[in-house]
Amino acid sequence: MSRPVNLADFLPPYLAEVEELLGLAHTQLLTLETAARGGAPQPRAVRELFRVLHTIKGLSAMVDVEPVVALTHLMEASVRAADRAGGKLPPASIEPLLQGLKAVEVRVRALGAGKPVPPAPSALLDALEGLEGAERRAAPRAAAPAEVQFDLEPALASKLSASEREQLTQGVQGGRRALRVDFAPSPQRSAAGLTINTVRERVSQVAEIVKVVPLSRPGGAPGSGLVFALLVLSSGPDAALAAAVEVAPAEVRLVAQPPPPPEEDAALASGALAGDLSADPSSDLAGVLPEAPLDEEVAPQRHGIVRVETARLDEAMERLAALVVTRSRLQRAAAALTASGANTRELVQILQENARQLRDLRAAIVRVRMVKVGEVLERLPLIVRGLRRSTGKQVALQLELGAAELDKAVGDRLFPAIVHLVRNAVDHALEPPEERRRAGKPEEGLLRIVCRERSNSQLEVQVSDDGRGVDAAAVARRAGVPVPQSDEELLELLCRPGLSTREEVTTTSGRGMGMDIVKRIAVDQLGGELRLQTEAGVGTTFTLRVPLTISIVDAFVFESGQQRYAVPVATVEELVEVDAARLVRGPGGAEARGEVQILERRGQAVPLLRLATVLGQPAGEGGGQKALVVRQRGEPVAFAVDRMLGQQEIVIRPLEDVLVKVRGVSGATDLGDGRPTLVLDLIALGGGAAAEAQRRERVS
Amino acid sequence: MAEVLVVDDSKMMRDMVVACLRAEPGLSFTHASSGLEAIERLSLKPFDLVVLDLNMPDIGGVEVVEFVRSQDTLRSLPIVIVTTRGDEESRARVLAAGANRFMTKPFTPEGILGEVRGLLGAKGAP
Repeated sequence: MSRPVNLADFLPPYLAEVEELLGLAHTQLLTLETAARGGAPQPRAVRELFRVLHTIKGLSAMVDVEPVVALTHLMEASVRAADRAGGKLPPASIEPLLQGLKAVEVRVRALGAGKPVPPAPSALLDALEGLEGAERRAAPRAAAPAEVQFDLEPALASKLSASEREQLTQGVQGGRRALRVDFAPSPQRSAAGLTINTVRERVSQVAEIVKVVPLSRPGGAPGSGLVFALLVLSSGPDAALAAAVEVAPAEVRLVAQPPPPPEEDAALASGALAGDLSADPSSDLAGVLPEAPLDEEVAPQRHGIVRVETARLDEAMERLAALVVTRSRLQRAAAALTASGANTRELVQILQENARQLRDLRAAIVRVRMVKVGEVLERLPLIVRGLRRSTGKQVALQLELGAAELDKAVGDRLFPAIVHLVRNAVDHALEPPEERRRAGKPEEGLLRIVCRERSNSQLEVQVSDDGRGVDAAAVARRAGVPVPQSDEELLELLCRPGLSTREEVTTTSGRGMGMDIVKRIAVDQLGGELRLQTEAGVGTTFTLRVPLTISIVDAFVFESGQQRYAVPVATVEELVEVDAARLVRGPGGAEARGEVQILERRGQAVPLLRLATVLGQPAGEGGGQKALVVRQRGEPVAFAVDRMLGQQEIVIRPLEDVLVKVRGVSGATDLGDGRPTLVLDLIALGGGAAAEAQRRERVS
Repeated sequence: MAEVLVVDDSKMMRDMVVACLRAEPGLSFTHASSGLEAIERLSLKPFDLVVLDLNMPDIGGVEVVEFVRSQDTLRSLPIVIVTTRGDEESRARVLAAGANRFMTKPFTPEGILGEVRGLLGAKGAP
């Protein structure tokens, strides 16, 4: 008898899925807000927003979160009305809908934190309820008759909804061609990975899909008569579309094409007209359109994607680490066999193969952890929107996020730092409209965020504004120090922890508030760099460079020789108490690297080294009562430390500088207080001394 | 072994449906995340029952039902619609199109299990 189903068990996937859906809803809503300013209907965004809200409602009903069901039900009704109005969401609806999403988010977070979920605010419910009626009344029921003729067979034409027809018309009037291409699924194609899902994904890279209609073709073999007709809008060559569906270019059929431009405009039309801009996202001009709507090209394609909680990925990584440890034991055992004269040739070959497979597996797991930088920063437009409202400033946001991918853990740490820079730029750096006018600048300030992959290991993020620039003299005056002579010195001053608390500095200098936090995240936690370029009256650019991946491990933290160190737990075999009375002085007396003593552990003699001595430091207080046992070349070695401080998760950043690269030091970490702490590799450290002691012990 | 096709764009919802139906022995499950994928799968392999969501990107459940019922080979395939409150107006349309049952979310494990058992049991009956 199987265990009865408890739908409450689905809470973790619920939280993950709703979070993702809320992100999508925000994106669509901001697209609609941008479109509303330009007056263009956005039937696709409206339909997608409706679907997302509807899904949140259904999921919330299943896990019994009634306040969220109530909120999404009303939001959905208002969006449905907009869909019926041909994809036009009135600008006045945006704010209540955003508030609705916020209210949903607050409730879902409460649920995730195990707190009671508050009922939906009745004022908000009333406002949302009012929207539907307003949208119905505003709906221009009779849309202007389409001037575009579509060459479609009746079976297909009858499947198009009004908003899909509108979408096609708009696309064609905007200069794109409406095309049809058919995909016939088959068991062979499915086995080769060519399915309607992969075809849709591939087609959406080269064209905008308006509708896919399944059609059955009579006369074929049983079960083989199915054909999917894809109706798309495209400004690219037919060949690209044909290749995406794996058919001959001749099978791409024209459904409608844009009317030829009037003769006097023909010369102009060859240039970058507005119509071309929306059609070609790669054109340079498209990139500088203020806050380009996050449409087809930018919205993440979520088909064929599996959501995984980060904790599960961490778990996979841990399992892999265990496998690596077992492998090295296996390797040692094989080496011992070889040493004893056994024929281990095949075994050694298998081990080599195994090492390669483990490396591949590690690379695969690391890849799984990667997320697109666009996904990490998808909420920035929403944040800027909020800042626009709270400051009353006009800000155009330009995002050039590119396709770089980074470790989810890096993304999670990086996001708050970027939000900080964005907030500072809008709050302090960009001048109010009248000040900008006086300075001869456009009233609308510009905030630009550019991400690019600098190498296969580093991401560069630039946050630029065209604001007033940092006033170095003002910052220095308030800090009571000489005026910095370079941008580097100025940045150092701005990142002083105490500085940002001085309110006046921040408002007069154009920057401030929490720059120490940004530096802490970028430099100390992620092992990256932070740079500043600023010019009075012209603007400021902050550049962050961070590694694309980081390794997070569980570590012991301890003190030795008045210094603090960390050691990955996985490398430590045992943590032992050192009983001074039971120590045996090792043979050979005092050594250059310290006296070796022998510790008895379960009947085995284990050389004990004082870590401080190995590191060439004076021993601290605490007397070395604790020791970490590791295995060096298969033999246990104990390192006595002065004081154990605990166990915690640390982010290891590599020491790339060759001058700092030292045997036995695998990197550095920040334990949260801003002080760098070295991460030791005890297995590599003092290996010689311990091996020597071991040898002598055996001899004696 | 009866083959069940579970269609919903939400993975959590598909997992929930499968979790509820696992209590019935002898069922094996295939997932589809969109209406188009469902139609494709139905064309590639025979199924004994479909559990179908209505609101999905690309084409909705109503269109899936209409398509399925237009196919000679799929005319008698049992279809359970599982959908969210607010789709009441779709109910008449989807039942007219030929869906066998219409359930509203939230459903209970017993509720959906009862519908599925009923449909699978009745299938062999004359």
